[in-house]
Amino acid sequence: MTADPVVTGIGVVTEAALDPGCERRKGWFDHRAELGRGYKYLPRASQYLLAATARALADTGARLAGVPEHHRAITVGTNNGVSELQGEFDRTVIEGDSTLLSPATVPYFSVNLVGSRVAMEHSLKGFSLGVHSPRVAGLEAVQHGVRALRAGRARWLLTGAAESPLDRSEPGAGDGEDGAVALVVEEAGEVAARGGRVHGRVRVHSFLLPPPVAGSPGGRERAERLLATAFTALGVGGRRPQVWLVGGDDAVTGTVGAALGEGAIEVPAGAGCLGPAVRVAELLREAFTEQLVIGVAAQGNVSVAHVVPTPR
Amino acid sequence: MTEVVITGLGALCHLGAGVDSFWKGLLDPAPPVATQAPDPLAHVPISNFYFLPEGALPPWPTAVDGLAVGDATRAALSVTREAVADAGLGTLDVGRTSVLLGTSIADAYVIERWRAGEGVPADDSWTPVFSTASVVAGHLGARGAASTLSNACSGSGYSMAVGADMIRAGEADTVVAGGFETYSRVAHAAFNQVGALDTASCRPFDATRGGTVLGEGAGAVVLERAESARARGARVYATLTGTGWSCEAYHATGLDPDGTEIVRAMREALREADTAPDDVDFVVPHATGTRLNDLVETRALYEVFGERTRRLPLYSLKALIGHTGGASGGLATVAAALFLHHGHLAPNLPVATPDPDCPVHVPVSGGTPAGRTAMVNSYAFGGNNMSLLLRGEPR
Repeated sequence: MTADPVVTGIGVVTEAALDPGCERRKGWFDHRAELGRGYKYLPRASQYLLAATARALADTGARLAGVPEHHRAITVGTNNGVSELQGEFDRTVIEGDSTLLSPATVPYFSVNLVGSRVAMEHSLKGFSLGVHSPRVAGLEAVQHGVRALRAGRARWLLTGAAESPLDRSEPGAGDGEDGAVALVVEEAGEVAARGGRVHGRVRVHSFLLPPPVAGSPGGRERAERLLATAFTALGVGGRRPQVWLVGGDDAVTGTVGAALGEGAIEVPAGAGCLGPAVRVAELLREAFTEQLVIGVAAQGNVSVAHVVPTPR
Repeated sequence: MTEVVITGLGALCHLGAGVDSFWKGLLDPAPPVATQAPDPLAHVPISNFYFLPEGALPPWPTAVDGLAVGDATRAALSVTREAVADAGLGTLDVGRTSVLLGTSIADAYVIERWRAGEGVPADDSWTPVFSTASVVAGHLGARGAASTLSNACSGSGYSMAVGADMIRAGEADTVVAGGFETYSRVAHAAFNQVGALDTASCRPFDATRGGTVLGEGAGAVVLERAESARARGARVYATLTGTGWSCEAYHATGLDPDGTEIVRAMREALREADTAPDDVDFVVPHATGTRLNDLVETRALYEVFGERTRRLPLYSLKALIGHTGGASGGLATVAAALFLHHGHLAPNLPVATPDPDCPVHVPVSGGTPAGRTAMVNSYAFGGNNMSLLLRGEPR
């Protein structure tokens, strides 16, 4: 049973993190340099997540070997992590046939493999869960993972999000996200016992504000009630931390924004679930006080992440 | 621990639409007849598939709030609506009801049709294909979390296990959970290329088995806090007493031949349910008809249940409806709940040539007593395992 899950490791693999000046001529991510040999045929989202995981593990300053394999788990959100791969597969089947598909890559048609590949790499045998709700999957991955830790289904959790660009055949392809975030979550007591560093705590509450409801005359009031319930569930109560609203140009985001009122910082989201997860990771590293990250999808999904950084 | 009960069921598969069709099909099993995928662009060596019967799924909606949806989401809508109605939940406690659905590929075929030039939208808006739980929750009026999971062929199992944990954690009072899967060119091609398909039929535990046959389907349950379900006088099919989670962390598609992690999943479910192996009355195994899966699962059953495995009744659902991917655990749970509710198992399709390496009991006669305790196993690409333990109501 993990009564008090805390974040002890953070890994962010995005262009902004790895190549902020856009100076790398061969692209911002070099799988060979990051991962070594043997990873060439993995989908990019998987490569990113492996690299982010390596960074998060190093960031904990602890050895994973100390955690029994069946107590290690992974929950990862992705929306488009195998979109390109599925597009390539489909064109191969349409123009040729299925026997031309790469045997090494073909299992990755199944989107849960993005996280499962990390499980294989680090013997995460407790459980592996793929989460894919639009935009909020990365935050929901934290929610489902932390709950499972508290239920005693594992003691050590790798959670986060991974995306790679949408296949060129999909609408919105130009807006796809690219990168991964990995967070290591452990029991506070165990971390304290080894003298480890705690970045902070993250708790997530999710709800649905359907687009027709958001767009209705009572939509704002409904959003206010759902947000109030979320804040209560997260223990925010009457406090009003800084809010980061990560969403798109849609009715649901607009209504949630209106319900939050002034003060919320709006962060434009791309196509994927990476944006909210990146913001959580950044706040864990940089913020001094509690914050709220709210991911919103046009389809109505809303996840509220309460981020409480360790006092610096 | 908070008791979680199953109060509503929904089913859709090769046998037809609705739990009544499903139950009738189970009671009078006929060897399924695969058809060829009606997809001229699917250049695959094995195109057998168990499709939904004509008319089982309405062709609408094709879009929900501007989001294009396909058969996968329509299938999920069909079974979740049925499950909620079956539970007698006229109105959902909107903020306390969540929807969790598992799938392998969701509405990927919407994109595949566009890719083939069919009905390409003029709009360049992102179309996230894993939006099914959001659409379903919107239709049902649920306002809790609406989470679409994958975990491939154990997706339903995980959705029910996570849903039960949400209720126990106080995040929801009611969770509509399950899984769904419909035809996808990419998925069918991938199963072809990994060599997981049989050219004839799905024949779990048969010495001549050569793989599985994919099928379309969806299965859903309504999970409720037992206290509130009983207070409203709901019919309880079964209590979800234990869930066993594990990950192989071994291979992208294959089970660890040792079966260590599927044994652990079964034992975790038993431990959580405070149930001894000898108290399990029947098992709905994963049993895909692939050579390795059936062999490893058989050995794992012996590891958990010992020599009693020889006479422990199994219900081999995939022989009848094929492998419905993310829906398979949901439909298996619906079957197990029906067996517990009616007090007896349905007859299995006969295993024509029993594999001597899989000495399991697959009863073909009707009327095998269901007892009170069932186990449902689900395994998946990526090594994601889930065992569920169900306890029926006292008779």
